[in-house]
Amino acid sequence: MELTFYIASGIAIVATIMVITRYNLIHALLYLVVSFLAVALVFFVLGAPFVAALEVIVYAGAIVVLIIFVIMMLNLKEEAVEEERHWLTRDVFIGPAILSVLLLAELVYIIIQGDTGQIATKAIDAKAVGISLYGPYVIGVELSGILLMAGIVGAYHLGRQKKKVVHRFLEHAEE
Amino acid sequence: MTANDFLSIVPLFILTSTAILIMFSISVKRNHKVIYAITLASLLADFVYLMVYMRGTSHSIEPLFIIDGLGVFYIGLILITSLIVAMMSYAYFEQREERKEEYYILLILGTLGASTLVISKHFVSLFLGLEILSVALYSMIAYQRKRERSDEAGIKYLILAAFSSAFLLFGMALVYLVTGTMAFEGIARHLTANDGLSFMLFAGLGLMIVGVGFKLSLVPFHMWAADVYEGAPVPVTAFIATVSKGGVVGLLIRFFVTLNGHQYPTLVLIFTVIAITSMFTGNILALRQNNVKRLLAYSSIAHMGYLLVAFIAGNALGTEAVTFYLVSYFITTLGAFGILAMLSDTEHDAEATEDYRGLFWRRPWAAATFTAMLLSLAGIPLTAGFVGKFYVIAAGVNMQEWLLVVMLAVNSVIGLYYYIRIIAIMFEQQTKAETSNTRLNPAIYIVSSVTLAILTVSLIWLGVFPSGLMGIIKSLL
Repeated sequence: MELTFYIASGIAIVATIMVITRYNLIHALLYLVVSFLAVALVFFVLGAPFVAALEVIVYAGAIVVLIIFVIMMLNLKEEAVEEERHWLTRDVFIGPAILSVLLLAELVYIIIQGDTGQIATKAIDAKAVGISLYGPYVIGVELSGILLMAGIVGAYHLGRQKKKVVHRFLEHAEE
Repeated sequence: MTANDFLSIVPLFILTSTAILIMFSISVKRNHKVIYAITLASLLADFVYLMVYMRGTSHSIEPLFIIDGLGVFYIGLILITSLIVAMMSYAYFEQREERKEEYYILLILGTLGASTLVISKHFVSLFLGLEILSVALYSMIAYQRKRERSDEAGIKYLILAAFSSAFLLFGMALVYLVTGTMAFEGIARHLTANDGLSFMLFAGLGLMIVGVGFKLSLVPFHMWAADVYEGAPVPVTAFIATVSKGGVVGLLIRFFVTLNGHQYPTLVLIFTVIAITSMFTGNILALRQNNVKRLLAYSSIAHMGYLLVAFIAGNALGTEAVTFYLVSYFITTLGAFGILAMLSDTEHDAEATEDYRGLFWRRPWAAATFTAMLLSLAGIPLTAGFVGKFYVIAAGVNMQEWLLVVMLAVNSVIGLYYYIRIIAIMFEQQTKAETSNTRLNPAIYIVSSVTLAILTVSLIWLGVFPSGLMGIIKSLL
C-alpha cells in the first residue's frame, strides 16, 4: 500500500514540474489540475479523506475555474479565438490525461482493496475535523477569517485603480 | 471558551472589532477624520485596558495561546507603536491618497497579526499571526499605487514573504514529523526526553529560522529590505521596521526559551554567524548610501544583528536586554521616519540626502529631532540607543560571548560614520535656492509635531533615567 503513496506523490511532483516549465498558460493549468488531484490522493492514502475531498472541490474545482475565467476575460480579441482552437489539440492534453488515468487507476485499486493501508493509522473523517476546528482550534478559525478579510480589503483597494505600471527598469523604455 | 479565556484575549477582540467597525463606517460614508479618530481611540483604549487590567495576567488558552508577562508587554509595545504610526499617517495620506480609509483597516489587522504572534505557543497560531501580518503588509506596501516603485516593492515583498512562509511551513512539518506535536511545550518535552537534536529536527528548525530571519531581515534573508523600505509609504515603512519585527522577536524569544535552545551549540552557532554577518553587511552597505530610506533599511539590518547578540546570550538578562533594546530601537525608528514623513512633499518623499542639506538652518527643530534620533541609532550617550547597546553588551559579556561583543563594538564604530555624515549634511550651508514646499493646513502638522516631541523626550528620558523602564521589564518578564 505504501506504493500507492509514492506513485501519487511522484505524479504530483512530475505534474508540478510540468506546470512551471510550460509557456502556455492553459497547458500549465491542465497540469496544475493533475497536480491537485495527485495531492488529494496523497491525502486520501494518508488517511484524510475529508481534506482530500476539499482539495478536489476547492483547488482543482473552484480556484482553477476562477483562473480560467480570468484568462478568458483577458483574451477577447479575434485572433484569441483562433488561438484557443489550438489549446486543446491532442498533443496538449495527452500528458495530463495519462497522469490522470494513472491516478484514477490507483484510486480504483485502493477502493477495491477496501482499506487505506498501513500508512494511515486511522482515517480522520469530516466529523473529527469539524469537532477539532470548532473545539480547541476555534480561535484559529476566527483568525483565518480575519486573514481573509485582510486579503479582500487589500485586493479591493489595489484592484480598483488603473495605473501606469512602471518598473524602474522599464522607466526609460517607455519615455 | 470560558469567561476567563475571553477576558484574557480581549485586546485581540478590540482590534478585530475595530477593523470591522471601520469597514462598516467606510460603507456608510468615507470620512478620513472619523476613521482616523476611531483608529486612534481604539488603539488607545486597547492599550489602557492592557495596562489597567492585564498586568500580571498569566493565563493560557489551550492549545493556542499563552498570555503572560512577556506577551502583555510585547502587545502593549506593539499597540503603542501602531498608535504612533497611525498618528503620523493622517497628514501623510491626507496629502497623497484619494482613498485612504482602507489603510487603517490594514494597519489594525497588521497590529492584530503581530499581537497574535507574541502570545502564540503553537505552530497554528504562529502561522496564522504571521500570515495576517504579511497579508496586511502586502497591500499596505503597495497602497499608494500612483507612486513609482510601490508596485515593485509590493510584488517583491509578496513573492519573498510567500517563499519564506513556504520554508517556515516545511520546517514546521519536519518538526511535527519528528516530535508529533505542534505545541512549543510538547516539542520541548520531546527534546529533553530524547536528549538532543536529531538531523531531521535540526533541518526543521533550520528551515524555520529562514522564515523568521526573513521577517527580521537578517542576512542572508535581507535582500528585500532596502527596496521595500524605499518603495513603501513612509508610515508603512515605519510599521515594517517596528511592529512587524517586534512581533517576530517576541515570538522568537518565546520559542527559543521554551525549547531551551541555548543548550544546543549548533543552533547558537547558526545565530552567531547570522548576527555577525547581519551587523557587517548592514553597516557596510549603508556606508555609501545616498538615500535616507535605504540607509535606514541597512541600518535596521545591522540593528537586528546587535539585537541577536543579546538574544544569543540567553537567560533572563539577555531577554531583558533584547526587550529594552527593542523599545529604544522602536522609539528611534519611529522618530526618524516621523521626520521623514513630515519633510516629504506630495510628489516624493524626502529620501535623498540632498533634501537634508542645510536643514538645520531652515527648520531647526526638525533637524534637532532628527539629529537626536540618528545619535540614538549610533548609540551615543544620553540617548536610549546608548543604554540599549550598553545593556546588550552587558548581556554578551555576562555570558562571555567575546567574539560577538567585539564584533558589535567594531560595527558601532563603522555605523557612526554614516549617521554622523547625515548630521554633517544637515549643518552645511545651503547651496541651491530654497524651493518653497507647498505646505498644507498647519493644523495637520500639529499632531505629527506633538508625536515627534513625545518621542524625542522619551528618547532622552530613557537615555538619562533608564531604570524606570528596566524595572517595568524586569517585573513583567
